[in-house]
Amino acid sequence: MDINFSDADNQFRQEVKDYLENKYPKHVKEKQNNGEQLTKQDMIDYHKSLYEQGWAGYNWPVEYGGTGWSPTQIYIFQEELGYANTPTILPFGLNMVGPVIYTFGNEEQKKKFLPDILEFNTWWCQGYSEPGSGSDLASLKTKAVRDGDHYIVNGSKTWTTLAQNADWIFCLVRTETTQKKQEGISFLLIDMKTEGIEVKPIITIDGDHEVNSVFFTDVKVPVENLIGEEGKGWTYAKFLLAHERFGIAGVPNQKYSLKLLKERTKDFADNDLKMKIADYEIELSALEFTELRTLAALANGGHPGAESSIIKIKGTELQQRLTEMYVEAAGQYILPYEGPEGFNSNNTPASNVSDFSSQAVSRYLNFRKTSIYGGSNEIQKNIIAKAILGV
Amino acid sequence: MNLSYSDEQNMLREQVLKFCESDYTFDVREKIVESNYGHNPETWKQFADLGWLAVPFSEENGGFNFGPIELAVIFEEFGKALVAEPYLANVVMSGSVLESSSNGLAKQTISKIIDGTTQVSVAFSEASNGYNFHDIESSVNDGKLNGVKTVVLNASFANSFLVYAKNGHKPVIYLVDAKAAGVSVNSFSTVDGQNCGDVTFESVEVDESLIISHDNDASQAINAMLDLANLCICAEAVGGMTASYLKTVQYTKEREQFGQPISNFQVLQHKMVDMFMEAEVSKSLLFKAMLQLDGKDEEASKTVSGLKAQIGKSSRQVGQAAVQLHGGMGVSDEMSIGHYLKRFTVIDALFGNRNYHLNNFSNL
Repeated sequence: MDINFSDADNQFRQEVKDYLENKYPKHVKEKQNNGEQLTKQDMIDYHKSLYEQGWAGYNWPVEYGGTGWSPTQIYIFQEELGYANTPTILPFGLNMVGPVIYTFGNEEQKKKFLPDILEFNTWWCQGYSEPGSGSDLASLKTKAVRDGDHYIVNGSKTWTTLAQNADWIFCLVRTETTQKKQEGISFLLIDMKTEGIEVKPIITIDGDHEVNSVFFTDVKVPVENLIGEEGKGWTYAKFLLAHERFGIAGVPNQKYSLKLLKERTKDFADNDLKMKIADYEIELSALEFTELRTLAALANGGHPGAESSIIKIKGTELQQRLTEMYVEAAGQYILPYEGPEGFNSNNTPASNVSDFSSQAVSRYLNFRKTSIYGGSNEIQKNIIAKAILGV
Repeated sequence: MNLSYSDEQNMLREQVLKFCESDYTFDVREKIVESNYGHNPETWKQFADLGWLAVPFSEENGGFNFGPIELAVIFEEFGKALVAEPYLANVVMSGSVLESSSNGLAKQTISKIIDGTTQVSVAFSEASNGYNFHDIESSVNDGKLNGVKTVVLNASFANSFLVYAKNGHKPVIYLVDAKAAGVSVNSFSTVDGQNCGDVTFESVEVDESLIISHDNDASQAINAMLDLANLCICAEAVGGMTASYLKTVQYTKEREQFGQPISNFQVLQHKMVDMFMEAEVSKSLLFKAMLQLDGKDEEASKTVSGLKAQIGKSSRQVGQAAVQLHGGMGVSDEMSIGHYLKRFTVIDALFGNRNYHLNNFSNL
């Protein structure tokens, strides 16, 4: 057991730094560091730059175009990206549907979808939650009825992140009404351009348009878009959720935000806030090592299972605490509301902390979502209780 | 980076675990605690025979040259079984101070610790200094040591003391025989059934041959001892937290109310999940601290402070929840569960509590 990086690891870290210095798109970097909203094209440019580097599949196996990196390399990669304040790598293709397709999909599906996911030619979104099915996800009602070579899909999905940008959606649909509700669920890939799909924005309390409702009216989906077996969708869904929870804690980004917070509060007389920051920093490093322990277990042939629930719960709690501390640090300067478009130059508020105070509340409000999405933290506790404690 | 225990480390854990399960059940432990401050000479002899008293010492001093990782392994298992033997005071604390010394007397003392024939306690804290352990009044003038040391662990059984004192303005650590003229021990049972004492040194004759460490080396030796001791008791707390949540899960499965096991109730389930998570994240931080100490990382001291602060919070939460979920049984002395809470409380108080270390972490 040791904590040191090998020479090869250090060399790898330098490669990541070189990418960030030279290949990470300058316009994206500038906007990120100024706290400006990124456009769809910015996100595409960023992801394509990773693809060109050969790193898009940073946690994929080599045979599907991934890097085949060791856990240590993945850790270094994510750490350097976090320190450089890069945008979050969108998980819907790379961390969610991608692994489902290469694990449960057939050869044709792998050939058809995986290259475009890696190259970011397709933007994916996740069709899980429904208006009547949140934590009780398996009660979902969106129906897919077989009609010759097609399924006819009717129903609606909600809280669909960035569906307004998406080319494809992966959906859990009910193909059969069964005694046990989990058994009638299937996993379907749907082209967002198909007739009968309508996307409507949901504005969240931070004022942003991030999530949507998606409505399906007699949407025709070719049967070859079914993943695995009909009725086995729940198994694939759970597999995906365990992967989704992994990395959901955003430790590297939190380290970056912590660094900024410490810099900006270093002359504050508020000892209470100082102790809160210290407590948070300690917990963050405990979380980081929890992730490392899990990665080490994975490298030894384990699977991300219920342990990833700890990371989800603790990670999102810490994210939320961080946003609270930003609000506390900003004090009264949180009041001027910047809005998604930013202040216009004529009415930018004057204050020496405005560079982070204007976004403090938006982030605080936006991050309430983290303990709700990806399986609410209460559901995660149910999972741990059952799977690990055996009660 | 490698976060897996070696085969050797796994074997050591297995050995300690087996010993605790067969020879150190809670009933046995209670008898030892009630009769003799938690110290049983026969158990100590077994420790010596198993080689455990030699674990952290260098090979040239007759030890196994193991480090913080192996000590943490032992303490985690000790924590699960609530082992009360004075391993911390002798092997970890005195061991750490003696190992850093170049005095031949230190080497001789180490060999007697290893074979279990002598016990040594570090006498460093004083009534006036709180957790500022370098702010000491004990002093040596004209070859005579005067001062009062407080809360000296295992004072009753110590054959000698490593006394942290000032000679002029310079810090010095002397090895003083417990039977030397002018040494008196006022000893107490600790709240968790072990032993500590106030040790008074009144015109005790000391000469240069008894100097184990001096000047900067002496204060460094105390700092290094505190880091290692904190790491070990944090590992002990991690073991205690693990045992606490496992015993609580077991108890709630057996205890029936309202016609069903109380483990069916979601309120209790979530509380137990919280206990489990606190134990796990504490363990993760323990990994970081022991690896940094082992690698002599310059951040190690700060990480140990962070760990101690985390353990103070987590173990209090776990200990209290364990008692709460055991209901009335939780506050009964005959059950082991409340004894974990006691031990957590002592661990937090030792060598700087949560508040102290949170401040320390913030300032480092």
